[in-house]
Amino acid sequence: MSVLVIGDGPVAEHIRATVNSDVDAAVIVTDVDGRRGVGPIETLDDATIDAVFEQPMQRVITGLQRAHAAGAKRIVVIVPTIGMSGGDRHAVHAALAEAARITVKSAARQWGADGITVNAVALAPEEFGVDPKVSGPVAIAPRALTGAVDPANAVTWLCSDAAAHVTGQTVVCDGGLWM
Amino acid sequence: MSRLEGRVAIVTGAGQGVGEGIARRLAREGAVVVVAARRAETGEPVATSIREAGGRAECIVTDVADGESVQNCVDETVRRFGRLDIMVHNAFMGGIPHKLENARIDKHWTNMSRTGVWASLFCARAAMPHLVASSKRPAGTGGGRLILITSPSGVEGSANIPLYSPAKAAQRAIAKSLAREWGPHGVTVNCIGPVAGSPALLTAFERNPALQDAIEARTPLGRVGDITEDIGSVALFLAGDDSAFVTGQTIICDGGSFLGL
Repeated sequence: MSVLVIGDGPVAEHIRATVNSDVDAAVIVTDVDGRRGVGPIETLDDATIDAVFEQPMQRVITGLQRAHAAGAKRIVVIVPTIGMSGGDRHAVHAALAEAARITVKSAARQWGADGITVNAVALAPEEFGVDPKVSGPVAIAPRALTGAVDPANAVTWLCSDAAAHVTGQTVVCDGGLWM
Repeated sequence: MSRLEGRVAIVTGAGQGVGEGIARRLAREGAVVVVAARRAETGEPVATSIREAGGRAECIVTDVADGESVQNCVDETVRRFGRLDIMVHNAFMGGIPHKLENARIDKHWTNMSRTGVWASLFCARAAMPHLVASSKRPAGTGGGRLILITSPSGVEGSANIPLYSPAKAAQRAIAKSLAREWGPHGVTVNCIGPVAGSPALLTAFERNPALQDAIEARTPLGRVGDITEDIGSVALFLAGDDSAFVTGQTIICDGGSFLGL
């Protein structure tokens, strides 16, 4: 059964091409874009806040609503770890990532009684075009695991009945960068 | 000498509740406090009351959802008092219970986003040069501090007001990011997550005494926090010299109800 994937960009395309489930499932890829809006807080203008935080966050909210309306029983929201770590000159990007991640917990609490699970998968900043050096420890500590990191297996598991009792959680899938 | 003697603080949303408690506590320790309130009807009485108690305070009417209004508040504060050392963003509007699947952006999100997330960025942007200047003062006479008032719900989510949580979570991420950005300047950025006897909560208790019983029963310290003595004192710690090496953190101040940080 195909999975409803909401979002654009390389991460969404990869999930769209690789994740399947026997359960009605949806994956929302948060539109964090490290190529725009980067800079010190004193240079931040309203248009940047709107483009980098407000509009993408509204798309997360409406994406969750769309997944719910489509009857999804497994919902996964993909975010970068920068929301948990914070990021130098990336306050607005971090705000979006963390807002999306915590919305997952609210949704999990509200929709759990209907058997709907909602979880987050957090990926390394560079998956969203964000320089990992902006999140200090990520840059200082080497990644624990070597080799390519593919989040598809973690997303597939959360979209399956094998994870039916896991909800409101964040699986960090970055090879052990952010701990 | 009082711990904040000579320092100047702005507290948004200080016309009532947690903001009022923080303003009173900072003023008691010698800070000049700007009571930044959306309405003079609430802000002026708090400022007057602080002055009558021997402190220094003035009200500047401020709409935190408007970046120009926040900038004006900061500019006017510096014009009147010559400096700004401590910026506390507490004001927040919203929190209407809703079902996430039916939530409307305009009704259930926009106010919280504007007053929580956008306003935190506005406060940071406007205060930044003055907080940096404060941190360049000799030890014991300054130290730039940005304090954002968040909520335990910003960590654990909310079943009743689901979109309240992301607005509060975003503030924590902003604090961590600015802690990294401003650390080299010596400016600290932290959050407080209070559960306190604000007017809204006390009104809810009057309407529903069982709610008070339920909250107190789940709280190890067995009571709801006092806006001045409990929450204001945490703000005092973060505003003063004792917290000079604390940045990017959230102090949950709720009597131990939430232990998941």
